[in-house]
Amino acid sequence: MIDFLQIIVSGIAVGSSYALMGLAMVIIYKTTEVPNFVQGEMALISVFLAFMIINSYGAPVYVAFPCALAFAAVLGGFLEFAVLRRAKEPNILSLIVITMGLEMVLMGIVSWKFGADAKTMPFPISPYDSVALGEIFISGLELLTMLTALVLMIAIFLFYRFSKLGVAMKATQQNKVAARLMGIRTNRINLLTWGMSSVVGCVAGLLISPVVMDPYMMWDPMLKGFTAAVVGGMTSLPGSVVGAYIVGVIEHLFGAYVSIEFKSVVAFAIIVLVLCIKPSGLFTRHYVKKV
Amino acid sequence: MRNLYGKEWVMKKKVFGVCVLLLTAVFGLSGFGLAEEGVTDTEIHIAQWGPQTGPAAAWGSIPRATGHYFQMLNDEGGIHGRKIVYHMFDDAYNPAKTKAGVKQLQEDVGIFAWVGGVGTACGLAVKNYLMAKKVPWVTPATGSRHWIDPPQKYLFSTFALYSTGAKVHCKYAYEQQGLKRFALAYQNDDYGKAYLQGAKEQLAKYGLKLVEAIPVEFRDTDLKPHVRKLKKAKAQATLICLTPMHAARIVMTGRQMRFNTQWMASSPCSDFPLMYKITKGAWEGVIAATFAELPDSDLPLMKKYRAAYKKYATKEERWGIFYYAGFGFAEPLVEGLKRAGRDLTREKLVSAMEGIRDFKGITGHINFAPFDPKDPWCRQGQDEVFLVQCQKGGKYKVITDWIEIR
Repeated sequence: MIDFLQIIVSGIAVGSSYALMGLAMVIIYKTTEVPNFVQGEMALISVFLAFMIINSYGAPVYVAFPCALAFAAVLGGFLEFAVLRRAKEPNILSLIVITMGLEMVLMGIVSWKFGADAKTMPFPISPYDSVALGEIFISGLELLTMLTALVLMIAIFLFYRFSKLGVAMKATQQNKVAARLMGIRTNRINLLTWGMSSVVGCVAGLLISPVVMDPYMMWDPMLKGFTAAVVGGMTSLPGSVVGAYIVGVIEHLFGAYVSIEFKSVVAFAIIVLVLCIKPSGLFTRHYVKKV
Repeated sequence: MRNLYGKEWVMKKKVFGVCVLLLTAVFGLSGFGLAEEGVTDTEIHIAQWGPQTGPAAAWGSIPRATGHYFQMLNDEGGIHGRKIVYHMFDDAYNPAKTKAGVKQLQEDVGIFAWVGGVGTACGLAVKNYLMAKKVPWVTPATGSRHWIDPPQKYLFSTFALYSTGAKVHCKYAYEQQGLKRFALAYQNDDYGKAYLQGAKEQLAKYGLKLVEAIPVEFRDTDLKPHVRKLKKAKAQATLICLTPMHAARIVMTGRQMRFNTQWMASSPCSDFPLMYKITKGAWEGVIAATFAELPDSDLPLMKKYRAAYKKYATKEERWGIFYYAGFGFAEPLVEGLKRAGRDLTREKLVSAMEGIRDFKGITGHINFAPFDPKDPWCRQGQDEVFLVQCQKGGKYKVITDWIEIR
């Protein structure tokens, strides 16, 4: 029983970092309907910037991290303004391909500037000091990640539900032309959405970086975050978080009781299953756009 | 008249053609036709692949260091009056890219011999091609048994076999530390499986079996399920044969889950300063097998290589075991080239390599023997490792002498 509980706790813990990436992807999807595959690398470059500020300029974490978050906001907005918005006759497919191209460019920049040697981020909480609840262990960093994911989810949910800007973002996703006719500056909304999403991704990156940093560190969380978003529904914030926990727990259960070799690919089997059974995700209503 | 003129013209053309053919045959055979591919009066073309990007890019310092080694030799006058022209390409640890790059260089440039080459799968992708073309390849930068079993006339391995590392670990833990419950976390490919085989063979000598053997996939980032199984098996000694990144993760996860074991790592994880840094100190106490002198060694050769590193390497390059391994892996080839003499051919290089006995560079003692298709060891030049334990700050403590177990 203890073993089973440990598996569940570990699954939820690992699901928290997926949840943050899932949230970041959902924010962009909710406004633009584009699955953003450069999400991980936007976080990556911001995290490495924080690392550079700490290592090269001797700045403390509480200075470097806000700088990284600010940079992430600017980077997200810049990519939308300078690249995505410039796409000629854009459709969803071409925008997805653009995000994939950007992903390679940003990863190349990080590899070139910082090299391939693994690094770790100085962090106030040690990544291997754990809290024991009887025989069940969870690290302090994982607890922090879980808490951050939940707080961010609630904050973003409230932002979309009650703020004028949040409602404008939802309106832009549902009908861009009507939103513009109502006086919403949809281009500006898109820019803000990318900036906001990039900040959430950066938070995920900063919480992953104390364990290990290299140019590929965001690849797996991004894919798992995408899986979580698909499972929960690409437009549902709580859905993406719950989806992330489901993916994390299933991975761990599969690793423990079925096959540890195929543990990391089970997430992709889940995507296929969800797309076959409930393509709109487990927590969103399927709606058809009128033409 | 026009016809006559035409016949004469045709005749002249035929005579001219025959002359050209004869001249080509005479000069061609005496000159270019007999010259060895990749060798000119002033140059020898040597090549290597290695990941400069991708998940294994941390090992990319090996081919870069080999380039610095050749620069050093060229500045000293080269080998028998010839400079080494070094070709290196990035295969991103992807066998398909290795194959394409090797074929392109071999067929467009004409490489005399290959040296090093990171990655068992990458090397396997080109082994048959190079052997079919009878191109010498010295020291694949991996400890797989594929290079010597069956032995190949043109392939000389000097990287200690991974299975040897596993055997030495088990021997030390059992005989010196008195440990009896062994587990293994291994990369689920040839690298890890070779290690697994070595551990099984050595433990069988003591009447023991692995209490747990956990495969780790290259894409795994969350290793809690793996550590949970190791912990459940109550392993006293846990051998790890993984990439440095996975090794760091598993040891850190072990610390997090309060799993107390003696971690013992394969040679690719023996760069203690790096491992200590990325694990934030959790690497302290880990025992690893290593195949080359230590970074602060006072050996004259190591001093010379350190000077070359300072002269040729970029300031971002770190002086670590995987950097100067690039020097060590090329040493046997250079020794063979020196022994082969000025009149250099591939066959002469092979004969010269086969004559190498008790050669000592910065790795273990190297011995080759004349080619015997039934004897794999005729192409395994060295199979020695020694054990080191990580101390505070990532310092090395040597705990055994060079050991060879076959």
